[in-house]
Amino acid sequence: MRGNLLTLAILGGLVLILVVVANLLGVRLFDRIAINLCIALILVLGLQVFMGNSGILNFAHIGFMGIGAYTSAVLTIPTQMRGMSLPDLYPVLAAIDVHPLVGILIGGLVAAAVAAVVAYPLMRLSDAAAVITSFALLVVLHTIMTHWSAVTNGPRTLFGLPKVTDLPLAAGAAVLAIVAALAFKESRAGLLLRASRDDEIAADAMGAHIPRLRWQAFVLGALLAGIGGALWGHFITSFSPKAFFLKETFVILGMLVIGGANTVTGAVIGAVIVTTAFESLRALESTINRAEIFSEQVVGLTEIVLALSMIAVLILRPGGLFATHEIGALLGRRARKTEDRP
Amino acid sequence: MTVFLQFLIDVLSLGSAYALMALGLVIVYGILRLVNFAYGELIMVAGYTMYLVSPSGLPWLAMAAVAVLMAVVAGIATDYVAFRPVRAKSVTAVLITSFAFSTLLQNAALLFISPRPRNVPLPEIFSETIQFAGVITPARNVITIVAAVLLLAVFSWLMRRTVIGIAMRAAATNFTMARMLGVPANLIISTAFAISGLLAGVVSILWIGRIGAVVPGIGLEPLLIAFIATVIGGMRSLQGAVLGGFLLAFMDTTLNFTLPQDLLKFRDAFTFSLVILILLWRPEGLIKGPATGRRT
Amino acid sequence: MLEVSGLQVDYGAIRAVRDISLTLAEGELVTLLGANGAGKSSTLMCIAGALPASAGSIRLEGTDVTSARPEAMVRRGVATVPETRDVFPDLTVDENLRLGAYTRRADAKGVDEDRARLFEMFPVLSERADQPGGTLSGGEQQMLVIARAMMSRPRFLLLDEPSLGLAPTIVDQIFDMIATLKRSGLTILLVEQNASKALAVADRAYVMRLGKIEAEGTAAEIAAATDLKALYLAG
Repeated sequence: MRGNLLTLAILGGLVLILVVVANLLGVRLFDRIAINLCIALILVLGLQVFMGNSGILNFAHIGFMGIGAYTSAVLTIPTQMRGMSLPDLYPVLAAIDVHPLVGILIGGLVAAAVAAVVAYPLMRLSDAAAVITSFALLVVLHTIMTHWSAVTNGPRTLFGLPKVTDLPLAAGAAVLAIVAALAFKESRAGLLLRASRDDEIAADAMGAHIPRLRWQAFVLGALLAGIGGALWGHFITSFSPKAFFLKETFVILGMLVIGGANTVTGAVIGAVIVTTAFESLRALESTINRAEIFSEQVVGLTEIVLALSMIAVLILRPGGLFATHEIGALLGRRARKTEDRP
Repeated sequence: MTVFLQFLIDVLSLGSAYALMALGLVIVYGILRLVNFAYGELIMVAGYTMYLVSPSGLPWLAMAAVAVLMAVVAGIATDYVAFRPVRAKSVTAVLITSFAFSTLLQNAALLFISPRPRNVPLPEIFSETIQFAGVITPARNVITIVAAVLLLAVFSWLMRRTVIGIAMRAAATNFTMARMLGVPANLIISTAFAISGLLAGVVSILWIGRIGAVVPGIGLEPLLIAFIATVIGGMRSLQGAVLGGFLLAFMDTTLNFTLPQDLLKFRDAFTFSLVILILLWRPEGLIKGPATGRRT
Repeated sequence: MLEVSGLQVDYGAIRAVRDISLTLAEGELVTLLGANGAGKSSTLMCIAGALPASAGSIRLEGTDVTSARPEAMVRRGVATVPETRDVFPDLTVDENLRLGAYTRRADAKGVDEDRARLFEMFPVLSERADQPGGTLSGGEQQMLVIARAMMSRPRFLLLDEPSLGLAPTIVDQIFDMIATLKRSGLTILLVEQNASKALAVADRAYVMRLGKIEAEGTAAEIAAATDLKALYLAG
């Protein structure tokens, strides 16, 4: 317990430091990066809740991010604008107008509800079947988002979300996400789920109903994804279904893999490292492009580096940087070791 | 009658392409139990090779051969970069590395060639039409069917008659036991990847023949098709993959003919939901693969 | 011919084999006895190259093969028949046999000769030559995998519990076969739970318990030992 509190303190502290520094610097760019980082944190943590505890790769996560974003959009785009943004919206929905914060919450809940309904039968599957169905689910969600024009404006950009997400909100949500992830990990469900990875029969004997446990993790993950998606929507104010497909899946997955899927610390650190690298590489890309060093635009460098890093990490440290222990536990152990020395 | 023949040709030619795609994916999955997410990129590599080689003025067939060769090389490279280093670590690790490798290849094309579509040279015969029994169809469709039949026949012969084919089938059933009979693991795996690349290369030429141009993301659709066909047909059965390809083509063509206009754009959602349902019912696919050969 | 020294095999945190040492001279049939879980199969699979050794050494004719891969062991003349039998069920009997001769595939004539010889030795296999391996009965499958192992012309055979799950008459047949193989000069390491049949055919024996060797000696000595039952029942 002490280890977990320490972990929470360190990770939460990290986020708070981030906020303070960005505030002090006052540069819009850093503000943007910090907010993106917090949102990425929420998304990665949502993924960690499922993947870290169940051990199953989940490709559908970003789809739920989209559900959260679109739900909140439909409910919060100012009614005057809604006629333009979503001309075919169902009258029932066109009339609803809620405060963006409520919208964000509802976005998360709807994502969780969809996950609850859709994913339950899938939780029985393991190995390749589980991965393939999650991949199929992503495609289904993406196809629906791309073509359900009444609600999403189809493949076109949806605009008009009120810009509500500022750094305190994003950071606060991120800290809550850290709490949620740690809480689930140490809850009975989380412990049983992880135990079932190592020995299904023993866990069964202890009363673990594995599909149900996985389902709980999946729904919580989807809740976080939905909230993260809605927050992102209210930051960027316009987006299209293209934002919720393979490229984003790859980045979030990369953050988790590099940091370490089994630990909350891994999720956080992975998000921090990858976001930092990403922004630096993007800046590098635009500098190169502005200076016109090459005749054509440099694009894709960031993804290449990310891909190479993922492969390297998986070869050298397959569990990620924080493969087994949370940072609180690691530091706690080191402290105890020095205590024991005469 | 003509409508039926038209439908039949459509299904057969589409199914041939799909079957080849599926086979290329299954051959690696069957042996390694690992999904090669970079498979679509093998198709992309062949496409871009055609584009890069076209200024050389070589006869089209030679260019096509080079393209297929490059796909084979890319397939073997996938093994060395994405699979071999992490195979022993975990199943998840391999899935992620192949996903990463796929992104790597796509973005390399994006970076070093162009994000915009690039034209691929096609022989005139592709666009000629053939007419028979009142049906008009592009020659390309007939070529696809012929190519598929030939490749499948050769492949079948390879798997049944040669020692390496038998060794590959054995490795797909029980890799460890095959090794205990002296079958070299690495060679079998590399061969599987090479064949996967070969099939991808041929598919690429036939597939791009429909579109005429190549983009970095061109491999996604064939990958999804191969996925579905494999899942429907049976993820560890080579015959199942082929069957799945034809079934999928049948489903797609039928849906195209029958779905009301406003639901047509959701066709992919339908197909992938079907995939999920099939996997829920039969996690190993419709046609069961070989039993593992273990007594317990 | 085979020298195992201080062998240790772990499954993660579980130590299945601790500090095993045994030797086999050329032409000997040595049997490794012990109850379930004693570590016999792990020892055998480690020698075969299918399991890694965490400590100790394995020397085959003087060469260190501790970390050799299974393919390499076959090339050195070692053939393995694992406990799980592992017939390739979709391959025909004939294809199974051909695969057994993988390392000799260049010598088509020799392979054909061996196949003919083995069909003579196991007539039932010859009858079922084109049937898928999975359709054979347990006893037939056991004969198939032994024959398949012989197709590589090994000098050294590792046999893991050939009698498991088979009816007594079939077990007799299998052991007759093993005796014949021994007479032909093959060196055999036989892991068995059926102690009496194994001791009847073996030259020497080791008894394992909980990963260690508890007793060793000639077959006669071990057969006479009164605490054999105790060793089995106690674990």
